[in-house]
Amino acid sequence: MVDATEHELVPEHHLVEEERLEEILDEYNIDRTDLPKIKRLDPALRDVDAEAGDVIRIERDSRTTDTAIVYRLVIE
Amino acid sequence: MSIQTPKDISSIDFGLMDPETYRDMSITKVITADTYDDDGFPIDMGLMDPRLGVIDPGLECPTCGQRSGSCPGHFGHIELAAPVIHVGFSKRVRRLLRGTCRNCSKLLLTSEERGEFLDRLERTIELGDDQSDVMKAAIRQARKKDQCPHCGEKQFDIKHEKPTTYYEVQDVLTNEFPELIAAAMQGDAVRDEDPDDVDRDPMSPDELANETGIELSRINEILSGTFRPRPEDRKAIEKALSVDLTEEDMNKLMASDIRDWFESIPDEDLEVLGIDSDHSRPEWMILTVLPVPPVTARPSITLDNGQRSEDDLTHKLVDIIRINQRFMENREAGAPQLIIEDLWELLQYHVTTFMDNEISGTPPARHRSGRPLKTLSQRLKGKEGRFRGSLSGKRVNFSARTVISPDPTLSLNEVGVPDRVAEEMTQTMTVTERNREQAQQYVSNGPNTHPGANYVKRPDGRRLKVTEKNCEELAEKVEVGWEVNRHLVDGDIIIFNRQPSLHRMSIMAHEVVVMPYKTFRLNTTVCPPYNADFDGDEMNMHALQNEEARAEARVLMRVQEQILSPRFGENIIGAIQDHISGTYLLTHENPEFNETQALDLLRATRVDELPEPDRIDGDIEYWTGRTLFSELLPDGLDLEFTSATGDTVLIEDGELIEGTIDEDGVGAFGGTVVDTICKQYSTTRARMFINEVAALAMRAIMHFGFSIGIDDESIPGEARAEIDETIDNAYDRVEELIEIYENGDLESLPGRTVSETLEMKIMQALGKVRDTAGDIVSDYFGDDNPAVVMAQSGARGSMLNLTQMAGCVGQQAVRGERINRGYEDRTLSHYKADDLGADAHGFVESSYRSGLTPREFFFHAVSGREGLVDTAVRTSKSGYLQRRLINALSELETQYDGTVRNTKDTIVQFEFGEDGTSPVKVSSDVDHAVDVAEIADSVLDAEFEDGGATFLEQVRDETDTRTNLSERMDAITAQGDD
Repeated sequence: MVDATEHELVPEHHLVEEERLEEILDEYNIDRTDLPKIKRLDPALRDVDAEAGDVIRIERDSRTTDTAIVYRLVIE
Repeated sequence: MSIQTPKDISSIDFGLMDPETYRDMSITKVITADTYDDDGFPIDMGLMDPRLGVIDPGLECPTCGQRSGSCPGHFGHIELAAPVIHVGFSKRVRRLLRGTCRNCSKLLLTSEERGEFLDRLERTIELGDDQSDVMKAAIRQARKKDQCPHCGEKQFDIKHEKPTTYYEVQDVLTNEFPELIAAAMQGDAVRDEDPDDVDRDPMSPDELANETGIELSRINEILSGTFRPRPEDRKAIEKALSVDLTEEDMNKLMASDIRDWFESIPDEDLEVLGIDSDHSRPEWMILTVLPVPPVTARPSITLDNGQRSEDDLTHKLVDIIRINQRFMENREAGAPQLIIEDLWELLQYHVTTFMDNEISGTPPARHRSGRPLKTLSQRLKGKEGRFRGSLSGKRVNFSARTVISPDPTLSLNEVGVPDRVAEEMTQTMTVTERNREQAQQYVSNGPNTHPGANYVKRPDGRRLKVTEKNCEELAEKVEVGWEVNRHLVDGDIIIFNRQPSLHRMSIMAHEVVVMPYKTFRLNTTVCPPYNADFDGDEMNMHALQNEEARAEARVLMRVQEQILSPRFGENIIGAIQDHISGTYLLTHENPEFNETQALDLLRATRVDELPEPDRIDGDIEYWTGRTLFSELLPDGLDLEFTSATGDTVLIEDGELIEGTIDEDGVGAFGGTVVDTICKQYSTTRARMFINEVAALAMRAIMHFGFSIGIDDESIPGEARAEIDETIDNAYDRVEELIEIYENGDLESLPGRTVSETLEMKIMQALGKVRDTAGDIVSDYFGDDNPAVVMAQSGARGSMLNLTQMAGCVGQQAVRGERINRGYEDRTLSHYKADDLGADAHGFVESSYRSGLTPREFFFHAVSGREGLVDTAVRTSKSGYLQRRLINALSELETQYDGTVRNTKDTIVQFEFGEDGTSPVKVSSDVDHAVDVAEIADSVLDAEFEDGGATFLEQVRDETDTRTNLSERMDAITAQGDD
């Protein structure tokens, strides 16, 4: 099987810790269900030990801002 | 019923309606299928009962006391003689039948399963996903059970025959039961049992009677076939004889059975399926009472001959009532079950088509003339339906549409409005002390003299029409506080639009210039954003009707605010076609002009004084084209870029030092100079620049004269010979390739067959001909050839077009391949079968100028047709794609915190476009969006060189926030800009 996380176009996926998550949710004034979603079995989450309900932080390379940060809620 | 004041809507519940609510809502029961009696009066409790609302003007509604127009109409109802399934819910009915027990109506899930699905439903709601997926999954799970986990009843498969028939696939007693029992009693094999495997003991009727507990006489009756055993007896016999007496049979479920079934589904079970039993009990999907829409929803029209013509819905309701009555009569008369069932089906059909007349598998109900009836669903659905046709889009007042034509003397912000349009479209002016005299003047001019008025409104709310007769008199009466609907005048703001409105710039605000004649006039530089030309295009104009709208249009929608396109972040408005040829002629070889000529070139611009001359010859002064062009550039503009012509354009401090100004300089779609002025100065400055470039370019092109004719595409004999030689060589090469191929010596390219390889090589060889011809052609054409000027400057056409006109048209293709269609094994009967030669497959060696041979002409038409078909298909496909995309994206909105969210407040982007920047506010420089070095330099220069004076000046220039509201402000605003 190809390891998608190795591909240069696949950005870094990290688990967000609960304490940090509160801050993020507060910052945007949202519930975690308002975040974009990612499937638990997404190939990019291969190295991340994520359960449904966790939040993933994705650091994408951006042409205009260097890095763009996106959060996603893990779902079944 | 009293008149109610409008209320704020705090919430809306969607659900099914309880039949009791229908009855409560209803103002009358409708029992008569007839509409009017012989005297033309509506029949009481008929479909046109006056209590259902009034449509005739002047009558008073007996229900609400209002008159036609304000009476909303009132529902009636029909009591259906038998329940009928609502077609809109046929799928849901099927699901419920499959997922619940046929005996106890409970959901066929164990309590653990129920719990799981409840959890899943909760999660789905939380995530905002589609709840019906959970319902579907739950039903799928429940359907697997063949026994009810609650009451143990055996479950049968439900077959759904569209649209509204349901069957239980059940085991029933086969008709062959006497034979089967007899055979089994003798110990023989029955049905398709293998006789060797059977070890059935023979049994006498006595034994059987003992075993089953059925009386012997009954057994004998059963054996003789005169009595069909009841299910419990059948089971006993089956057990005793170990024989299967059943066969599959379809047992039709009547709507009333289904209704009973649904009635006893417990509320808790519905919750698992995502059904809120407070608002939607499933049995309400089976109609027992039919609401009759008010007459206002189905008005009848009186034809010219005085005959009344009823609405389609009324016709349908008549059918329903008729069948309903027949059904009742037949049932009371004790008609046979078969007839009752037929009538029931008929009633179902009429109620179904009343809701939706386009159901597959059901013949649509038709009008007497054969036209299918337009019933409820047809009124709502589709492009012309209530939603897309009447609510999202409707016809509006204060709009005008006419043909457009060009007017280069207008500013790009302006639009020429025909006087007859200006007299029809009005603007409301509130009379104050300051504008009273003006208002009186408008009124006294009357409705037919241009700056006039059509209506006045007194403070008491009374609207008076201004007529030729009363205008003088009325003008005297106009006082402060009145409102005057005056004609459009120069400087008013209006909205202008050309369909298809594919992007933001398809709708822009323009300032009115009232003009004679019948067309809208626009500056040719605004053609690109509208994608307009003047071959008969029409455009729409909308006069704005309140001050907020006018202010918004001025500040946000005016053409000059749309110079930069968010589509690619560069200007979409700029020089086009002849403007580009003009600036090219003016700047390419940098010609000189004497004073008269120079002033003439600049006369349509603001420049009224010439700069220092570039050269003085004796006592005659000369100015170069670049110097004159520089007059239009703002001070302090520094630029360096490569032009479309290929030379480097250098602009220093608002002076064009060198280079050609062409499409890449001032053109629409990313002309660097326009783009830079727009971003570094202001939109107002950019607008002035574009206007003036257009004006200067027109003067320039007229100065030099620019025309093109057939002789401009003719090439000398030696060039023709060269091209002919290239063609001959290519033909030889093709012959050679074919020979190699036919000898079987052609080596195939990887992944291709030999014949494909041959085709590719031939295409390659012939493609080269056109390229070579292009080179030859361009060698023989001078740089002053108008076609070359246009191609080089980017004004119109390309070198390829020129090659085809002068040299050789080249290979014609269909779907990227040489032309292969037509007769069997050949394209035309003029060629031998399987001729692979160039001319047999659409190579056109003639040029457009020399003319095509008949065969070439045919091939050219073939590939020309493909082009036409392609564009036609593309526009329709992309139109639909665009519609879907827009519908999907329309609810997304950038919030004040920079996130992009949909209406559910879920986040789509954490920062607009990942960088939070507008495409039009970013520099078009490829290397760096922000030129840090440039900014640092200018700051340092300012700080240390002249004590900050330049810096302050620059800051002042760049932060020019004066709102430029109108073309008329130019005189004031312009002073600070240069």
